[in-house]
Amino acid sequence: MATAGLKPGAAILGVPVHAMLVPFPIVCFTGAMITDIIYANTAIIQYSNFSSWLLAFGLFMGALAALFGLIDLFRNRAADRPTIAWVHMIGNFAVLVLALVNSFVHARDGWTSVVPTGLTLSVITVLLLVVTGFLGHSLSYRHVARNAR
Amino acid sequence: MTRSSLWLAAIAPVALADCHGTPPAPDQQQGANPALPNAEQYLFPPMKITTPIGWKNGETPTVPSGFTITAFAADLNGPRNILPLSNGDVLAVEAGDPNAEPVTRPKDIIYGLVIGKAHSPVKPGNRVVLLRDVDGDGQSDQRTILIDKLNSPFGIALVGNALYVAETDKIMRYAFTPGQTSIAGPGTVVTLLPAGEINHHWTKSLTASPDGSKLYVGIGSNSNIAERGIDAELDRAQIWEVDPATGAHRPYATGLRNPNGLTFEPITRKLWTVVNERDEIGQNLVPDYMTSVTPGAFYGWPWSYYGNHVDIRVMPRQANMVAKAIPPDFALGPHVAALGLAFNSGSAFPAHYAGGAFIGEHGSWNRDVLNGYQIAFVPFAGGKPAGKIEPFVTGFLIKENTRGRPVGVAFDRAGALLIADDVGNVVWRVTANAQPSSAAGAASPASTSTRP
Repeated sequence: MATAGLKPGAAILGVPVHAMLVPFPIVCFTGAMITDIIYANTAIIQYSNFSSWLLAFGLFMGALAALFGLIDLFRNRAADRPTIAWVHMIGNFAVLVLALVNSFVHARDGWTSVVPTGLTLSVITVLLLVVTGFLGHSLSYRHVARNAR
Repeated sequence: MTRSSLWLAAIAPVALADCHGTPPAPDQQQGANPALPNAEQYLFPPMKITTPIGWKNGETPTVPSGFTITAFAADLNGPRNILPLSNGDVLAVEAGDPNAEPVTRPKDIIYGLVIGKAHSPVKPGNRVVLLRDVDGDGQSDQRTILIDKLNSPFGIALVGNALYVAETDKIMRYAFTPGQTSIAGPGTVVTLLPAGEINHHWTKSLTASPDGSKLYVGIGSNSNIAERGIDAELDRAQIWEVDPATGAHRPYATGLRNPNGLTFEPITRKLWTVVNERDEIGQNLVPDYMTSVTPGAFYGWPWSYYGNHVDIRVMPRQANMVAKAIPPDFALGPHVAALGLAFNSGSAFPAHYAGGAFIGEHGSWNRDVLNGYQIAFVPFAGGKPAGKIEPFVTGFLIKENTRGRPVGVAFDRAGALLIADDVGNVVWRVTANAQPSSAAGAASPASTSTRP
């Protein structure tokens, strides 16, 4: 399967906006998983508070990133949209839904805001991000490589 | 396990939350042995927030036949508690939330916005107002600000010529003799009370022992279920016994999540309180209650409720504390938010009501079907509950709108029941109509309602 890259549809001085935004949800959701693990081991409530903020901020930035991702996708002609772009989109949509559900779980009070459901969701979210992130990098860096030729 | 089945496993407890059998009937959750369904966890905790609309001209709450309700005073600024005096004057404590609770997670912002909608738009006075009924018609016609600029006051008690006011952060003493309409001087601090920057349950209920030698003050928890961390709960969720002369204090009973309505039962001379129990583990958990307070007893919060029912949200668990926890005397029903309690020691009401408890139920917010929003009555015999809960004053609610919300209750010197209504901004007065047999004087028709 020839997986071509995707030309950015929205860019500032040549830098794709989507690429500037995606690190935020990746870092936030990974951070939430780490603070969840710490909370599950210590029961220090502040770590579950950290998780709540990381999930909320990750969701906000993730929604912005998704918006610019969609702009990138639909500014390209249908024939230029590679299959992995769709997989990347659907996977990251699932990430945002998981993180949203996880935010509500984290809004519970005390131990069950994290253990077991919140922590489980945080781990699944990060595992899914590894896959969608790889696909996303494959889209953007192949694009870079193609321009460099 | 595949990813999707893992996901399902994680979500399953959530999805199942709404399919837990039939809820217990309301009267099964009242009295000495309430039904306690299994705890549930939610993605979206049930919530129904009422909208304050106030009382229009001439509207009043509803009382049983044989009683009359009138507005003793209207257009107050958030009256939450009342203290009737021996000369007929009534002190009304106007107060509001100190409203300084810090935001520690996104939920705090959302809850603050949502729950705030149920409060009266009138700015609370944070003061003590003296209401005087000069012509004796059951409606106050003179009002003076007795003590101003208080820090979210709530509890108030008079012992001899000492007036004690429990602000959210301290107990104050003022020299005051019934009949006075002003107070000289700034008052004296008796003792500081746990407040601090979170100060979640801020109402400090106050009463004095029958002999006046001790004060008792209720200190609510700093959270729903210790989700601010257990360190925030130092000295909270307990009743203190305070020596009014020195300010020395000790925990009198602990594990009481949000104790209010502190008052002594006149026959047994035991301290009673109404307590708001924990939220977000079910529409029908945990029933709020009233109880006589056993000195030195631990009532479970936060680790357990109704004795040894463990709350799994509190970590680390404390098996030794759960083992110590004793159940309260009498459940009032889930989320009714009981805040006021008064015993009818007079004889102005019919015999059925003699010695019984009248409970101000501010009303639920975290339940699909609204609960509370009434004055409940529980008959007593020999100083103990002896019957089921009866709605006594109702009509605060119209659909999901609140004309009023009852808080503090008290009996005045004539044996009438006074009710502080912090949404209607009214102090209501309930009197028993003259009995046909003793028809001397006031011949008021049955169940009339009047309002200035």
